[in-house]
Amino acid sequence: MSEIIFITDLLELLLEVFIALVPLIIIFIIYQIFIFKLNKHEVLNIIKGFFMTFSGITLFLYGVKIGFVPTGKYIGEVFGNSSNNWVLILIGFILGFAVTLAEPAIRVLCNEIENASSGYIKEKVILFTLAFGVASSVAISMAKTIYGLPLSLILIPGYAITFVLAIFAGKDFTAIAFDSGGVATGPMVVTFIMSISIGLASSLEFRDPIIHGFGLVSLVALSPIISVLVLGIFYRLKEQRKK
Amino acid sequence: MKLKIINYIKDFFLDLLKTVGPIIAIVFLLHFTFIKFPPQVLLKFLLASFMILLGLKLFLKGIKISLLPIGEKIGSELPKKKSISLILVMGFILGFSVTVAEPDVRVLSSQIDLVSNGAINKNIFIVFIGIGIGVFLLISFLRLLLNIPIIYFLFAGYLIILVLSFFTPKQFIAVSFDAGGVTTGPITVPIIMSLGLGIVSVLGGKTRLADGFGLIGIASIGPVITVMLLGIISK
Repeated sequence: MSEIIFITDLLELLLEVFIALVPLIIIFIIYQIFIFKLNKHEVLNIIKGFFMTFSGITLFLYGVKIGFVPTGKYIGEVFGNSSNNWVLILIGFILGFAVTLAEPAIRVLCNEIENASSGYIKEKVILFTLAFGVASSVAISMAKTIYGLPLSLILIPGYAITFVLAIFAGKDFTAIAFDSGGVATGPMVVTFIMSISIGLASSLEFRDPIIHGFGLVSLVALSPIISVLVLGIFYRLKEQRKK
Repeated sequence: MKLKIINYIKDFFLDLLKTVGPIIAIVFLLHFTFIKFPPQVLLKFLLASFMILLGLKLFLKGIKISLLPIGEKIGSELPKKKSISLILVMGFILGFSVTVAEPDVRVLSSQIDLVSNGAINKNIFIVFIGIGIGVFLLISFLRLLLNIPIIYFLFAGYLIILVLSFFTPKQFIAVSFDAGGVTTGPITVPIIMSLGLGIVSVLGGKTRLADGFGLIGIASIGPVITVMLLGIISK
């Protein structure tokens, strides 16, 4: 019985992912016919790439569906129903830290920041700063859900702070900072940690999961921006002192 | 040949350890302390970790050999056409298409659909996020061509978000901010970057650092606005 569900679920997912890729496929076909005119070998390579992308996304989404989402929600629910909800704040902190350290895209970003600051901001320094920032965001988000704090109360002052910081940090760092927010919200955060948040909000008595379960991703996206901007200001100060 | 396969499997497990390892470790730590997971949940979790890592590696490689080169080619072809409206339209179309394919966007959309019991439809949600990225990618292309500093756009964008948040129904606020965060995923970011670098390299003479980036920062404001609008429309 469960095998049949497995197959229909998978087929449904395959169709969904294919439809999701259709716009990109069409764009490529149009460009290939009218502009690129790549040779057969290159087109074959592109088709191979599309196929890998297609199967990769399907596998990923399926794994998320049967593993990460249910497990995350389970964790959230257990803590939601326990009298010691606050432990999840701590666990969230550890998770946020671990996940950021493990995210490959973050390492690429840290390397770029070291280059952009001509070596002043060391890769390891920014890596741990980012990890700490994300960890704090996750912890704050869990606390927000447990104690029912409104998201806007945290986000809007948060973004106000980033704008003040951005003015002092300079053009280059502002661009990287806002981009780093996007990098931190990687697949592990969006699939696993967000599910914990939703599970938590679903099982807490006075919380609506739609209102309180979401918002974690936005908080995680905010903290790297602040981290990078602050480090950028330090860099700029150092540069000015040189002169 | 056998050695190659063994090496490949070894590398795969090492990657598994590095990327998903921390999460697996924490889950097992929880299992032995606070939470008694039912065994089939743990099993599915481990199985899922494999699939997720394999899937990730597959599609990252796939993007690298197909979508990234396409993005760069389009990026370098566009300015040659000397038609600003074409560049802007392509910005919209590409932004939309790339977002619709983005796995993280799909995960958020299916969750909000589930949690709202279908009140917020997954596909409509995805389309609105796509439109958000499309429009704002168009705007950030415009910024690139006119060479206006980023900060004005960021500030204006967040001001609009602030104003809209007063009119958006409570249910949509958290999820619309999340929408901005999820769009910057493994597909969208590299393609937009390669588009941007392609355009900048042809236009030449501008600070590659500040202009090649920043496309993403501005684009991710879009979905927040469009999902808030979706919320307002739904009322």
